[in-house]
Amino acid sequence: MIAPRLDVEGLLRGEGLHRVGGGRPPLGRLALTLALGGALYGAVMGAFGLNAEQALDSAIKVPLLVVVASLVCLPNFWVLNLVLGLGPDFAAAWRGLLSAQATLAVALASLAPVTAFAYASTDSYESAKLLNFAVFGVATLAAQRTLARHYRPLLARDRRHAIALLAWPTLYFFVAGQLAYVLRPFIGNPKFPTVFLREHWWGNVYVDLWWAVRGL
Amino acid sequence: MGRWLKELDQLLRGEHTRRDDLQAGRVGLPARRLAVLAAGLGLVYGASMGLFAATGGREQAWRHLVASAAKLPLLFALTLLVTFPSLYVFAALANSRLRVRETLRLLAAAITVMLGVLASFAPVTVFFTLSTDSYRFMLFLNVVFCGLAGLVGLGFLYRAVNLVFPDEAGAEEGRRARRIFRVWLLIFGVVGAQMAWILKPFVGNPQLPFAWVRDSRVSNFFEFVLRALADNWR
Repeated sequence: MIAPRLDVEGLLRGEGLHRVGGGRPPLGRLALTLALGGALYGAVMGAFGLNAEQALDSAIKVPLLVVVASLVCLPNFWVLNLVLGLGPDFAAAWRGLLSAQATLAVALASLAPVTAFAYASTDSYESAKLLNFAVFGVATLAAQRTLARHYRPLLARDRRHAIALLAWPTLYFFVAGQLAYVLRPFIGNPKFPTVFLREHWWGNVYVDLWWAVRGL
Repeated sequence: MGRWLKELDQLLRGEHTRRDDLQAGRVGLPARRLAVLAAGLGLVYGASMGLFAATGGREQAWRHLVASAAKLPLLFALTLLVTFPSLYVFAALANSRLRVRETLRLLAAAITVMLGVLASFAPVTVFFTLSTDSYRFMLFLNVVFCGLAGLVGLGFLYRAVNLVFPDEAGAEEGRRARRIFRVWLLIFGVVGAQMAWILKPFVGNPQLPFAWVRDSRVSNFFEFVLRALADNWR
């Protein structure tokens, strides 16, 4: 099995290679965990219409979503840490951030059977959408738990870490929301043809939301 | 046969889940033997469930018996497959003392206890199958038996979880882990009920032709129960 090699247990408990603190993060293992976990969930997420192409597309897009959203937010996080005078702790914060992303992927993968089961129980596309919102919400809670574990000693050392800890998820969700919109479809409405990206993919979710709310 | 009964006896007496072992985070169960035992117990009760349709005098009625006997162990295995990975991830994030293998063993033990209770009801099910031709009654009887077995199994797990995470040591950690297991118990029940819906028929309506599984995406277990209750009250 691959999970022991990646030390998923250690990741979830913050032990061994994935222990809380500074030092070089096990980049390769974390990246592989993220890729495999995200791809597994993506494949199941895209299997709603029992369409292999959509499943494959989503298996690529879910890890892509997590990685690109992180990369886009990272420079800001780095600068913020330096501005706050938290430079010496950045290695430990970076470690926590990476571990949280990998935890997100592990939590998603662990919820994949739940999604598959729910798909077997309903053919309502709206229910499938709601379910996936819930799954991503729960997985995010899991990731937050890992991040909080890594931040506990940092917060004890310097309260200003609280600002960075709040800024990261705020920016991350702002970006991830838009990115998920650009990368849609993930579930694949069976009524529409299967495509990697929708025809009018380059839009802005927040502007669309604004118009949708005004339209009410 | 005697060996297997002895195995079940030891499990039901809680000899595999002693206080000292659980408190040290050890669950010393013979996992493989337990899996075989669970499958055997499931077969016994599944067959007794399928007997109703099998004795209906239709063509190839024996297929009902085979299908139910095969599907009942599958029902529990699939429910475990759906619920276990997320339970484990969240328990580990909450610093549960049980590692992946121990968590799985503990759940497998609880499921075997459920199947043991169900199998003990098998003679009653067979007796009623032979003495009634009411499909609704048989359905009701089986739901009651499954509910009772579920309660006993969950009670077993509840006791074990309280021993693994005692109140005194690491109060916050214990509380969190216990809460996760409690939520899991609820999810296990809900998923199990719906999984049974997906894998139906088990008893087999004598009005309908044989099918390994019926189309399950049109409704769900909970809608069915609410409708049945509403119909009875009308």
